[in-house]
Amino acid sequence: MKFEDKIKNETEDIYILALESSCDETAASVNKNGLEVLSNVVSSQVDLHKKFGGVVPEIASRKHLELLLPVIDQALEEAGIRFEDLDAVASTYGPGLVGGLLVTLTAAKTISFSLNIPLIGVNHIAGHIYANFIENPDIEKPLICLTISGGHTDLLYFENLRGYKILGRTLDDAAGEAFDKISRFLELGYPGGPAVEKAARSGDKTAIDFPRADLGDSYNFSFSGLKTSVMNYVNNEEQRGNEIDKNDLSASFQEAVVDSLASNIIKAVKEYDVKSVVLSGGVAANQRLREVISERIEKYNLDLYYPKLELCTDNAAMIGVAAYYQYLEHDFAPLSISADPALKL
Amino acid sequence: MLTLGIDTSTDNLGLALIENDIIKAEYNLSLKRKHSEKLLPLMVDIFANIGIRPQAIDAAVVAIGPGSFTGLRIGITTAKILARIFDIPVKGISTLEIMAAGVESEYILPLLDARRERVYYSFYKLNYKENDYLPKTLLTAAGARISELSNILRNYKDKEITVIGEKRHEVIDHLKTNKFLVNQSAAEKNIPRAAVLARLGRDYIDQGQKDDIYELKPTYLKQPQAEIDWQKKYGDN
Ligand SMILES: [Zn+2]
Repeated sequence: MKFEDKIKNETEDIYILALESSCDETAASVNKNGLEVLSNVVSSQVDLHKKFGGVVPEIASRKHLELLLPVIDQALEEAGIRFEDLDAVASTYGPGLVGGLLVTLTAAKTISFSLNIPLIGVNHIAGHIYANFIENPDIEKPLICLTISGGHTDLLYFENLRGYKILGRTLDDAAGEAFDKISRFLELGYPGGPAVEKAARSGDKTAIDFPRADLGDSYNFSFSGLKTSVMNYVNNEEQRGNEIDKNDLSASFQEAVVDSLASNIIKAVKEYDVKSVVLSGGVAANQRLREVISERIEKYNLDLYYPKLELCTDNAAMIGVAAYYQYLEHDFAPLSISADPALKL
Repeated sequence: MLTLGIDTSTDNLGLALIENDIIKAEYNLSLKRKHSEKLLPLMVDIFANIGIRPQAIDAAVVAIGPGSFTGLRIGITTAKILARIFDIPVKGISTLEIMAAGVESEYILPLLDARRERVYYSFYKLNYKENDYLPKTLLTAAGARISELSNILRNYKDKEITVIGEKRHEVIDHLKTNKFLVNQSAAEKNIPRAAVLARLGRDYIDQGQKDDIYELKPTYLKQPQAEIDWQKKYGDN
């Protein structure tokens, strides 16, 4: 029997095992009907990479292979699900580090082959977006979603949960990348986002007035000019023999990033008649960003959603939820699918 | 016993299904970096052609290198998952040993290209005259400059050595220059063949030598470059 003959419809219970290994977390989850997360196991390698100041692809890939079976076992056990109960298997196939992606993608293919169930290839960024709907299943649509991470800064419009339109994206650095670069430049530590945010908390955000990129009517973003401004500022001050207040600098930098993100959201809110605003991606964990956006959308009477902290970091449950909507659309991947490190939304 | 052999360690994608002493299917495809796209579709193809279902396999055997780390992880991941789902034994076999087990000679030096003037090698004795087809390891897998091999093999200067695999012509020239007795083998004996892999794995598993599916990993003869650089800079911890 081909798996096509076993495909269920929306009214039946659908169990999906989802896997994720695009960066430095090895993760597996089981969900029921998408939003019901039965287990969500994440094994982080962040400590392994700390001393290098960034994720080392070969080290990450080695660890993914080691952790693969233990995380799958734990995800099935916590969910109380056996392999035979699964209706589909999903894995991230990009973007990310190709060596890492191939570990869970190959595993998912082999599971699909062995159990004769559909394989679903999920875009990691889509996963981060769908993470929001786990916690907020009744989120009102249409909605605007800003997805911000180390690799991405995208502004999306969702009519409903099965599709989206891209309004704008970054023209150079992603927001998270900008945080990482500044953190490295100021030697604040790794990962860069939380390090800069921590320093910013004891700083004055009005201390230095960094420029915001002016991109006219578009919904696009740009952060490389801001990064250059920060570096120039530090170099100038050092030449003058002035001491740099890293906290003030971090706060002012963060404020500039947050401001340009928030401005584009407001622009989109005005143009599209939306009911909600959603933040997703690692940078959505930034408290100042959440604060500023809440303040600015208040008068439009919109709800702001952002994922729980644990869902901001990479995990498999978010891949599983995206996979569920793909399952309903019969959006399955062939076994010849390969990892795409530069996959776009 | 139905044994599946999987090899994604080199440019050769090897896939074989053997039942006892019968080769049911064997693929050896020379592909460069296409293992991820090709492996599972080829498995579907093999099982469909033979007319058996995946759950019929009794053992999964996989090449563990030396070789491309990314390639190796594809095959090893597949073997681990099959072993986990079907609850069957898994066995990892050195890619060099697969090559050695494919020839009938007493002393065998299989080689894999390690780029520049280097090779990965291992050195085996095969007691095929006593019908023993499991190679005995005399020198474990390592990387070396071709010019170092005469010294590495100095204790075997009086033996007839069969040199197979990548860069064999350069290595044979080097050994001959240093007065070694060297043989070659026919063209098809110079790659790790999938059916040989499956047979070796089956023999080891028959002897009770299977691997822990959780521990199985590639032969990493080289540390990640970032680790080497870090140790150079900060010392050994
Ligand atoms: Zn992510």
